[in-house]
Amino acid sequence: MKAKKLSLVSSILIALAAVLVGLSLFFPWWQMIFFAPQYPEGLNIIVYPNKLEGEIDIVNGLNHYIGMENFSEENFPELSYLSYLVIGLAVITLLTAILRKKSVLYGLIGVFIIGGSLGVWDLTRALRKFGTNLSPTAPIKIDPFVPPLIGHNTVANFVTESILGYGSYFLIAAFILLLIPLWKDRTR
Amino acid sequence: MKKWVPIASGLLAGFVAATISFADFSQSTNTQVASGSTKSNAEKVYVPFGEKDDYYLFASGGHSGQMFIYGVPSMRHIRTVPVFSQDSATGYGFDEHSKKMMGGYTWGDLHHPAFSETKGDYDGKYMFATDVGNSRAAAMDLETFTVKDIINVPNTSGPHCAAFVTENTEYMFLPTRFAVPIGSEYKSLDEYSDQYRGVMSAVTFDQNKEKLNIAYQVALPPWSYDLSDAGKKSSADWAVMTTYNTEEATTNLEINASQADRDYIVLFNWKELEKMVAEGQYDEVTGQKMIFPEKHKGGIYLVPVAKSPHGVDVTPDGKHFIASGKLAPSMTVFSFEKAFEAVKNQDFSGERNGIPILKYESVMEREVNPENALGPLHTQFDDKGMAYTTMFISSEIVKWDPKTGETLDRVPVQYSPGHSVAAEGDTVSPDGKWLIALNKIAKDSYLSVGPSHPESMQLIDISGKMKVIQSSPVNPEPHYAQIIKADKIKTIEVYPKDENNKLATYKQEDAKIVRNGNEVHVYGIAMRSKFIFDAKAKRPDVIEVNQGDKVFIHLTNTDFDEDITHGFAINSYNLNMEVQPGQTNTLEFTADKAGTFPLYCTNFCSALHQEMTGYFLVKPTK
Repeated sequence: MKAKKLSLVSSILIALAAVLVGLSLFFPWWQMIFFAPQYPEGLNIIVYPNKLEGEIDIVNGLNHYIGMENFSEENFPELSYLSYLVIGLAVITLLTAILRKKSVLYGLIGVFIIGGSLGVWDLTRALRKFGTNLSPTAPIKIDPFVPPLIGHNTVANFVTESILGYGSYFLIAAFILLLIPLWKDRTR
Repeated sequence: MKKWVPIASGLLAGFVAATISFADFSQSTNTQVASGSTKSNAEKVYVPFGEKDDYYLFASGGHSGQMFIYGVPSMRHIRTVPVFSQDSATGYGFDEHSKKMMGGYTWGDLHHPAFSETKGDYDGKYMFATDVGNSRAAAMDLETFTVKDIINVPNTSGPHCAAFVTENTEYMFLPTRFAVPIGSEYKSLDEYSDQYRGVMSAVTFDQNKEKLNIAYQVALPPWSYDLSDAGKKSSADWAVMTTYNTEEATTNLEINASQADRDYIVLFNWKELEKMVAEGQYDEVTGQKMIFPEKHKGGIYLVPVAKSPHGVDVTPDGKHFIASGKLAPSMTVFSFEKAFEAVKNQDFSGERNGIPILKYESVMEREVNPENALGPLHTQFDDKGMAYTTMFISSEIVKWDPKTGETLDRVPVQYSPGHSVAAEGDTVSPDGKWLIALNKIAKDSYLSVGPSHPESMQLIDISGKMKVIQSSPVNPEPHYAQIIKADKIKTIEVYPKDENNKLATYKQEDAKIVRNGNEVHVYGIAMRSKFIFDAKAKRPDVIEVNQGDKVFIHLTNTDFDEDITHGFAINSYNLNMEVQPGQTNTLEFTADKAGTFPLYCTNFCSALHQEMTGYFLVKPTK
């Protein structure tokens, strides 16, 4: 049985998805902003696929009072290989666009779903690790906490706001672009 | 076409989500409550939280040796910056850099501040000030509001007639108030006219190295030089300064220096003096290039003026200079153009101490004598070129038109204004809006604090008819001040990391104590909320030395966070300093007292500031 070829338009959509995946490398994926009465401007932890940015040192300096471990690139080994995975994903997406095989597209969508789930799981795991693994000798004792992946949380005088970055939206948009050919090239 | 709908909608969905998360939808809710003309006095000076003043006021601190920084129009005191005097709050005069700069002096008399200028306008980079008490000049960096260099001015005693800078800050001139013999050597006062000199220094400032330097000096006659101003635009190469005691009296100056009907304004061309120095027309004395006007002719002229004038101020257009009479109840407007013409035509009425005298009539444009206005001291200008002169004796500010001499407005102030300062009021483009009277007498103004009174600064709205709308007490004693538009000053909040600084320690694990003979160098860290002097020690916040050791504490504040300042003091060792965020600062002292001395952070830094302590242990010599 001959596999049905995807239409040219679908192929272009998938190629576009590959571009978006590649672009996401250059934008933050996730961000947590810390607000306090004396920091109305907010302190940032900005997560890129390959680095951390923002006022990390200041956040760490403050977090040591509640006994939280330091955020640092060393503490996130993912940052050292994540960008290669993303490049790989962009490449196989581009290959899918070139092959124009529906079966390959199904496989790719599967990879996206698995990869995305792993990412969400990994971030949740990190948030849990930092929020619950507090030093017993900390000068200020607070109950362990797990900040949400997206949304607000209150810890002592800080309100944190977690949001997705442009990079994540590019990935979501890429995923949606991959779904469109399924509908467009559906067997009638 | 329809094929593209899903693509577009897919992309759109993503970007809409992104926009919702990232875009700032908060709307500006600033609505002008009242326009300038309908605001009450209270509304004009009220600056609510979150908003800032429009102007900085830099008021000289006089014999406090400091500079006072205020906001205008709120007249809130923001900061006191130590310049010539020690300040334990900031550790100024205690840490190595400032201690060396102060050269063993503990106080100064900061008189006339001057901003650096570009094209005759404030550029917001540096502030210069002079010390009448111990004959020094200082340069303050306006990124950090800290003094970068102080220079001792030899052959001079009391550079009161300063600081004024030329149009592009080429020079800052420091003429002296007191005449002394060259080198301040001992000479009998009977030899005053022959042996004493009123030396003026031409000081340059290297902005890259942040260093002051004396380019040359001029051995002017032994008179007192009072106030000065640099020319502007067409008169930019020139400068003027007032003199008194041209009688060359040596005692009871109150009477004896007030005898002659006329003193002089010294008019000089600094470009010409610069050229003379370049051509070698000077004598080398006490290591300085000294121009002796009677020998090295040119570039300096005298303009007769009503006796004992105080201020001389150049109009914003650079065409006129106005002398304020002090003892003569009038202001005299002189013309630069007429003076240049007279110089060109050698239209002199004679010589004094080898310096040509211009004819009063050929340079003077008009004498202005507002009725019963007594003791004119100093003049500022507004955006329309109108003049505002302080009347010390009749306690008022008089607004008048330099072009016609007409009196336009007068307002009483409480009491006895010395100088006044208008918004950028001595530049080529004054702003108008505000004038502050720097009053010498504050009685009747504030709650009593006993016999010692503060001084008073009164804010005057000059946008329409002059009106005093705010009064602010100030420590002794502002002589002159400068008002600069706030957005011209670009400060830093945190010192950047300097990897080349060998004294800095940025990583906690690098903190160490190094002994070299009887010298102990501590490379330590101050951070919320602890000291780390020796990362590997059992107690990292303890310094242990032997009695008699020379101790160097190089402390780096590794909190690179705005307004997180740490202090460092050792009990009973009479030492304190601050380290600003990111800064490295050094204390150097001899551990001459044996014993146990707690050390602690003096600047409240965090919730656990009280715990930010350690010990300084000094083992006694046996």
